[in-house]
Amino acid sequence: MTTMPDHRKKWRRWIREPLVQFVAIGFLLFLFYAWRSDTGTNSYSIVVTQGQIDALAARFVGIWKRPPNEQEVKYMIDDFVREEMATREATRLGLDRDDVIIRRRLRQKLEFAVEDNNNASPPTDAELQAYLDQHAEKFRAEPQVAFRQVFLNPARRRSTITQDAKVLLARLSASEVAADVRPLGDPLMLPSEMPLSSRSEVAGLFGNEFAAEVLKLKPGRWSGPIESAYGLHLVFASEEVQGRLPSLTQIRPLVEEDVLSERRDREINAMYDHLLERYHVTVKADANAVAAHSSSQPAGKTITAPKDID
Amino acid sequence: MKRMVNCPLTLLLAVVLVAIGGCSKSEQAPSTSVQAPSTPSPATRAADEDIKCEALGDFANCAVQKSTLPQYSPYVEQNFPNRVYWGDTHNHTSFSFDAGFGNPLGPEVAYRFARGEEVTSSQGVRAKLSRSLDFLVVSDHAEFIGLPDLLRANDPELLKNATAARWAKMLHAGGEEGTKAAIEAVLAIFKRNEVFKDPKVTRSIWEKVTSIATQYNDPGHFTAFNGFEWTSAPGPGNNLHRVVIFRDGAQRANQVLPFSAFDSENPEDLWKYLAGYEQKTGGQVLAIPHNGNLSNGMMFALADLSGNPLTRQYAENRARWEPLAEVTQTKGDSETHPHLSPDDEFANFERWDFGNMMNPVVPKQPDMLQYEYARSALKLGLKLEKQLGANPYKFGMIGSTDTHTSLSTVDEDNFYGKMPTSEPSPERWKEVFLLNADKTPAAAAWQVQAAGLVAVWARENTRDALFDSMKRKEVYASTGPRITVRVFAGWDFNAGDLDRPDFAAQGYKRGVPMGGTLAKSPTSAAPTILIRALRDPEGANLDRVQIIKGWLDGKDELHERIFDVAVSDGRKIGSEGRCKKSVGSTVDIPNATYTNAIGAPLLSSSWKDPDFNPQERAFYYIRVIQIPTPRWTAYDQKRFGIKMPDYVPMTVTERVYTSPVWYSPAQ
Repeated sequence: MTTMPDHRKKWRRWIREPLVQFVAIGFLLFLFYAWRSDTGTNSYSIVVTQGQIDALAARFVGIWKRPPNEQEVKYMIDDFVREEMATREATRLGLDRDDVIIRRRLRQKLEFAVEDNNNASPPTDAELQAYLDQHAEKFRAEPQVAFRQVFLNPARRRSTITQDAKVLLARLSASEVAADVRPLGDPLMLPSEMPLSSRSEVAGLFGNEFAAEVLKLKPGRWSGPIESAYGLHLVFASEEVQGRLPSLTQIRPLVEEDVLSERRDREINAMYDHLLERYHVTVKADANAVAAHSSSQPAGKTITAPKDID
Repeated sequence: MKRMVNCPLTLLLAVVLVAIGGCSKSEQAPSTSVQAPSTPSPATRAADEDIKCEALGDFANCAVQKSTLPQYSPYVEQNFPNRVYWGDTHNHTSFSFDAGFGNPLGPEVAYRFARGEEVTSSQGVRAKLSRSLDFLVVSDHAEFIGLPDLLRANDPELLKNATAARWAKMLHAGGEEGTKAAIEAVLAIFKRNEVFKDPKVTRSIWEKVTSIATQYNDPGHFTAFNGFEWTSAPGPGNNLHRVVIFRDGAQRANQVLPFSAFDSENPEDLWKYLAGYEQKTGGQVLAIPHNGNLSNGMMFALADLSGNPLTRQYAENRARWEPLAEVTQTKGDSETHPHLSPDDEFANFERWDFGNMMNPVVPKQPDMLQYEYARSALKLGLKLEKQLGANPYKFGMIGSTDTHTSLSTVDEDNFYGKMPTSEPSPERWKEVFLLNADKTPAAAAWQVQAAGLVAVWARENTRDALFDSMKRKEVYASTGPRITVRVFAGWDFNAGDLDRPDFAAQGYKRGVPMGGTLAKSPTSAAPTILIRALRDPEGANLDRVQIIKGWLDGKDELHERIFDVAVSDGRKIGSEGRCKKSVGSTVDIPNATYTNAIGAPLLSSSWKDPDFNPQERAFYYIRVIQIPTPRWTAYDQKRFGIKMPDYVPMTVTERVYTSPVWYSPAQ
């Protein structure tokens, strides 16, 4: 252990003196209460203004659809005073400090305030357009393809399937483009003619890999075989539409949702960043303790609150 | 709307006993509502002029009527359903009293997620589907609808109510406090204690629900249905819940308010409400019961809620308003139970058979099972049809999630749980939902099933087309994978029809699809059932295709039998119609992987009933079994680097159940 300079040793001994500690705490408490009593809600005077009485009465009207009578007003004022006293006393006793409900509620109120502020000014067209330009890929419409396909079932053809595919491809390539291909190949409960469909629609029926391959085809001729979840296919792509970026008017609500939610996250983060500048935070973590907390809990955890399921 | 029924537990027990004892053998005139394959159903309303051929399911006749013009293209007459649309009819968001206490995500997020967008879950985890859904029903509980959001906003009127104020406080605390508030709300409903009611508030929430559905309904691409859940649980705690789905847009749906269990917990009153809606608005609506497995013998009972034996009127009303049943979802599978189907090696599947939904649960008695599970109910329906002249349990089968996270997830490798607290985490599997009386867990989160989906055969992705398919039961249930299965039953099919390129056109012309009814055969010969199945294009191979037959014999006894009709890997089907050889498994549990080295991507079959008796009422439905794959628990174990106890299953045999085809001997 390294030796400590003398003046630091003295200082340490001095602050360990109980009397010094006591005086220091007393002084801090004095400052705290002096400050709190100035803030109003913690003083011992309660003033119920006409404005507050009107607000109480308005709430009554909202529920009972008639104004309160004199006795009811008196009851509401008494109740308000009780609530006010109880709130102040509980706060003085520090009952709010360890209360998880109150802490979370306060945090929520603060974050909601940011959120309300956020929603109050709807994004401008320029803002939306900029967002759309920046996130073009997210909003891009999928590529589409229309095609005809002839299926070859490996379970039926086994070793001849590759040769069969070759022969059939030659036959198809030589045939009329408009010929009915339905009787060719093996039966499959999927369309032999797919109208113009998006990539995910094709994938939903034939699988992702097949959809990717079909989108690579050069339209206007028979190609393949292409493998799907079910076997081999000879495919004639008749039309392809590249994925394009829709205009803002077409997808305005989608973009607006995204802009608002991004803005909300940004502003809440900004608020905390700003607050962090004013706070000095020290985390005194013990390395072993952290490890213990993060490992999974032992099995057979005690049952506290059973959860509802419907 | 008034409170109609107030029936304590003892009375209910008596009701069930009377019902069981009172299952008389009286012979009444059998059904007259049988339909021949090509005649329009008499149940459809003749006055409705804009009703389409699709709505009748009578595609062959439609084609004939149009065929007076010169023809060339083979496609102009193809107005029958040509593809499967996948969806979830059962999604709860922050507007539901129980989801909302821990889940701040509203219907907007549910729709955005379902149509394939990335969202952030209630627990702050990024979430995205591998494939979008084609449609979604946001089915928030009618009871206290929107309450959590009002509490969250500290609605001043609402907070005048002491209970509401307390819940608001718990809600704002979040986490376990929020869940406790949710439980209180559930129990309040079970005890029919409507702590808060204000039609103005309900109206404003309902109009918000319908306006969000309007916003996200995108005909041709994504369908957003108007709907809600009616949360009846008499007993208390015996699940009789129904999801209500409207065919119509906001203009009609806004003419009513959601019907809640506070209005009545009797399904017959719900049907009156549905009839009232149709009369008032000219729209259409249906209801789907779910979780028979948690009804403690009440979902498909032989008596009504007051304990009276079922009547013909009851049977007709139920068949009219409840054409479907949700038989697989997060809270377990309700197709059948090993106790009911001892010869069915696939019956012991995702079982939730401890009792009802009270906490602590009221334990299940074995006698209750027959009135809870779909296969048994379909059988009971045959007997009731003979007694009453109408079949109350003539339902098609669907799956849906019943998620309370706003996120409809069914993939084992992408499962976001049932409640906000069961979203992905290393601890989620051991969370306890319900307790037994002795405080031991009755239902824990590892039992939650990553399921299910509805598959709808339709021509287009619109409210009208999808609703009409649901109404005529041309739909099926999946526990998750997007297996395509098509079924036609008819009298003159043969094996060659399976390979015809116009398979579907022939199917509709000469037979009935799933959900249909075959009238008496012209020759007394057995019907032939054609089945084609495709595996999920992004999923696992298929093990086998099965036909489940149920029938009522001449002595009024009910039977069921399973036939394997197509199996993979060259296995043989024995003379008794079964393949006892298992397909095996490629699942690597520690790595949560599998391969398609076993099973088949395509299976098909042409099957003729070997035991057909033209005098006996029967139904046939198809079950397609997938090869074993890793269960979500295996993915959790791998991804979180944890080890779950041996009692937690690590593999799953996913499957689909089609709506049945019924056979009714005509008179």
